[in-house]
Amino acid sequence: MATLATTPPSRAIDQSALPKIAPVINSVPWFIWTLFAAVVSVVIGGYWDISWHMSIGRDSFWTPAHIAIQLCGVLAGLSCGYLILHCTFGSDPAVQPYTVHVWRFRGPLGAFLAAWGGAMMLASAPFDNWWHNAYGLDVKIFSPPHVVLDGGVLAIQAGAVLLIASTMNRATPRVRATLNAFLLLLGGMITMLALTIVWESTYRVLMHTPQCYRAVAFVVPVVLAGFATISDYRWARSIIAGIYSLYAMVMLWIFPLFPATPKLGPVYQKITHMVPMEFPLLIIVPAFLLDALWPKMAGWKRWTQAAAGGTLFLWAFLAAQWPFSTFLVSRASANWFFGTKYFAYFASPNGFDVQRMFFPLHMTTTGFAMVMVEAFVFAILSTRLGLAWGGWIRGIRR
Amino acid sequence: MKRFLTVPISRSLAVPVARSIALSVSPSIVLAIALLALALPASAHIGSPDVFVDDHAGPYRLFVTVRVPQVIPGIAEIEIRSESNDLEQIRIAPMQLTGPGSQFPPVADVAQRSKTDSQFFTGSLWLMEFGSLQVRIDADGARGPGELSVPVPATAQRMLPMSPFLEILLAGLALLLVSALISIVAAAVREGNLAPGLAATPVTARRGRVSAVVASFVIVGILLIGGNWWKSEASRYASHIYAPPQMQVTLDDASNQHGARLFLREGPATIASGNPRRDTERSDLDNLIPDHNHLMHFFMIRTPAMDSFWHLHPEPAGLVAGNAAGNGFVVNLPAVPAGHYELYADVVLRSGFPVTMVGQIDLPNLPGEPPTGSLTGSLRGPLAGPLKGPLTGDDSGVVAHPLDAAAANTATSALPDGGQMIWERDSPALKAPLKMNVPLMFHFRVMDREGKPATDLEPYMGMAAHAEIVRSDGSVFAHVHPSGSAAMAAMEMARAAAPGNPQIGTPGEPSVNAISPMGMPAMAGMAMPATGTTNEHVDPEISFPYGFPKPGLYRIFVQVKRAGKIETGVFDATVE
Repeated sequence: MATLATTPPSRAIDQSALPKIAPVINSVPWFIWTLFAAVVSVVIGGYWDISWHMSIGRDSFWTPAHIAIQLCGVLAGLSCGYLILHCTFGSDPAVQPYTVHVWRFRGPLGAFLAAWGGAMMLASAPFDNWWHNAYGLDVKIFSPPHVVLDGGVLAIQAGAVLLIASTMNRATPRVRATLNAFLLLLGGMITMLALTIVWESTYRVLMHTPQCYRAVAFVVPVVLAGFATISDYRWARSIIAGIYSLYAMVMLWIFPLFPATPKLGPVYQKITHMVPMEFPLLIIVPAFLLDALWPKMAGWKRWTQAAAGGTLFLWAFLAAQWPFSTFLVSRASANWFFGTKYFAYFASPNGFDVQRMFFPLHMTTTGFAMVMVEAFVFAILSTRLGLAWGGWIRGIRR
Repeated sequence: MKRFLTVPISRSLAVPVARSIALSVSPSIVLAIALLALALPASAHIGSPDVFVDDHAGPYRLFVTVRVPQVIPGIAEIEIRSESNDLEQIRIAPMQLTGPGSQFPPVADVAQRSKTDSQFFTGSLWLMEFGSLQVRIDADGARGPGELSVPVPATAQRMLPMSPFLEILLAGLALLLVSALISIVAAAVREGNLAPGLAATPVTARRGRVSAVVASFVIVGILLIGGNWWKSEASRYASHIYAPPQMQVTLDDASNQHGARLFLREGPATIASGNPRRDTERSDLDNLIPDHNHLMHFFMIRTPAMDSFWHLHPEPAGLVAGNAAGNGFVVNLPAVPAGHYELYADVVLRSGFPVTMVGQIDLPNLPGEPPTGSLTGSLRGPLAGPLKGPLTGDDSGVVAHPLDAAAANTATSALPDGGQMIWERDSPALKAPLKMNVPLMFHFRVMDREGKPATDLEPYMGMAAHAEIVRSDGSVFAHVHPSGSAAMAAMEMARAAAPGNPQIGTPGEPSVNAISPMGMPAMAGMAMPATGTTNEHVDPEISFPYGFPKPGLYRIFVQVKRAGKIETGVFDATVE
């Protein structure tokens, strides 16, 4: 008979409540591998797809980028669907006690959420298709049918986090360490995806507008605070921000090595190679500061932690990104390392990015201040939400 | 999934199209006539968005049809018929007509040759932007390479409603997903933190139910926000849909030295141009270029009979003596018969984008002697007799028999000098009942009073002929030439922008001088050799490429210039 795994003392799980039937997890379960592969697939596919549309333009359902994105839904749907059926109709002691009931099915909570995400991705297809016919091809990242798709991807990612977190609670120390690494990698991927969704508000020519900082304050603290709460690592935020930064930089350096020419017109920029996305945002700076200072806030109430953490995050990000963006907009960054020499084929020669100018502020000082205040409020709420979901998932067992 | 970068990076902020133009009128009897708004789907022309061009790509004569998509970005269907059978390949690519975006063609598509007709090619092209685009056609064959640029005004024309089937499907999916998500949330709260193997207690079960209710409210809230966002996106798209600008028309029938005049000015107009990724750029109706010598071609058609037709050329009001402070356009009226007139005004924007403005007016009896005459013999055509009034220069008109469905598809029209204009309908497509959406080549022959091919034809505003095609309800109006339905100014810009032309090196500048009706003088010398013309000689055989956009009864006015006089043939056609 299997014995219980010993969880690290930092975990807040009531070990006495675990029944004797729970077996030890001494290897990473297959469904975590498949879900992790699904998330990596959609992150790479998303980047590839955006680069494709900036460089080549025309696509079909069967482009490699689209296949990578759809693979996320297929992997999640099939693996979690199988897992749910396995739990519902089987009697595997490794998973059976760790299931919840949804309708007449049984399965791990994360499996239900990820399978739901796969279905959501599937449902976005006819909506997206109709949207193209009704309003023309949507040339935006942030459009209603794309948000339905992104909602599916988000659910798959959340499902993966739930499955990893619940598995960590009954894993051997070695497997737990591996799952922790998975968790942080997942955090990096989710950060990348979240910042991709709001890229239209954070493009470098917009980095001297308060809207840019409001968008970052909305999506990043919730991820960093959540994963830092779940993870066993003190430097979780820094590692997640580092993974995001490294990924964005590697893609920035690799993609331009591949030849490409536009297949859509009008063409405003001569393109010979794939156009990458941008140099990563400097969220590594606030992430590091938060990790360094968080132990001093450990005993504080959650709302106080959120207020301090959110404020610190945004101030540190502002202090780093605002001056750095001046460099990014300048000709000094027009090289392969920082990547501001690349422009999409549809970038107008009169565009601010090509002209290397910031987008002018069409607002009063009061208006600027109001949006910046909103940004701080968002940062605090986002941090609080992160602490909440991280804390809840830390206690998840099924 | 279609994903694009959307970045508001354009420095060109929206330009308000509807300029406020104060109308200055002379102290005289003024009749201000309010115009009814016409909601007609159209781009250039009215209700006739497809582009038909008959022109040469090097040594190869091509009949090109561009079926413009109804939504932008959308797919244009290209049909090309070659006159000869020595073409090996045709490649097509979309570009801006002029300026940035007209220099780097994307990878061209190879048009597919028909398996049953070796001289017929088809292809599809994404039109990614609103406004003045071109389809660049590269032809290659036994006689070497050739190139032709076809101007294409790309406008959004409609929004597709959702089909009931799709509505049910999406509503069903949404219901399923929402109920599943609520159940998952309830399960998470009820059982997520339970120790393994334990069943939910009444307390956790109750928490699960409460969380389901809370989740329901949250999801409904998210759906409401999403619904509002959807409405906002739909509304934004609707603002891009092209509607013909309305003219505001004022009649000044004072008995002064000018005679009766019409003052025309643009009403509020929305013409989206540029890339949907960027802030919407609005075309400026105050920045026009001349199209065969005139800034505006103005057509008046008395309805419903369509028996009084006038093709006039208003001038910028600021250039007219005594109206130094005026703006908009002004035109002297001939003594046209009284009645209700549909008005169409063709102008070309600086970008090469053609616009047809529309309006209506009820005209009273005007000073001067109205045209008189009667039908001659059995020929149904214009009324004989001289036309009175200030018809000068390139202005022309005709008073003809009423539009008559019973007499549709007539092949002969009498001309005032005793000659005839004959619609040659020998080809199978023209001999059979005319079909909508079929590209046709209309052939006309001008005969003198002896019944011989006329030898006295001259270019009329640089063209062998002009034809205006109007549907009986006014919902279709097209002004076409032997080279096609594209505006000649746009055709000239396309030719100038072709590779090898030295004018291409000036990005952002159209290849012809821009002009504002606010005061700059019109540019002279826009006349260009037209199909069927050689210097001053025009062949009596005239052809026009065109396709009727929808079924109905049409009237076709064909205008030629003979020995200094402009004559108009009138034909009716029923289209199925």
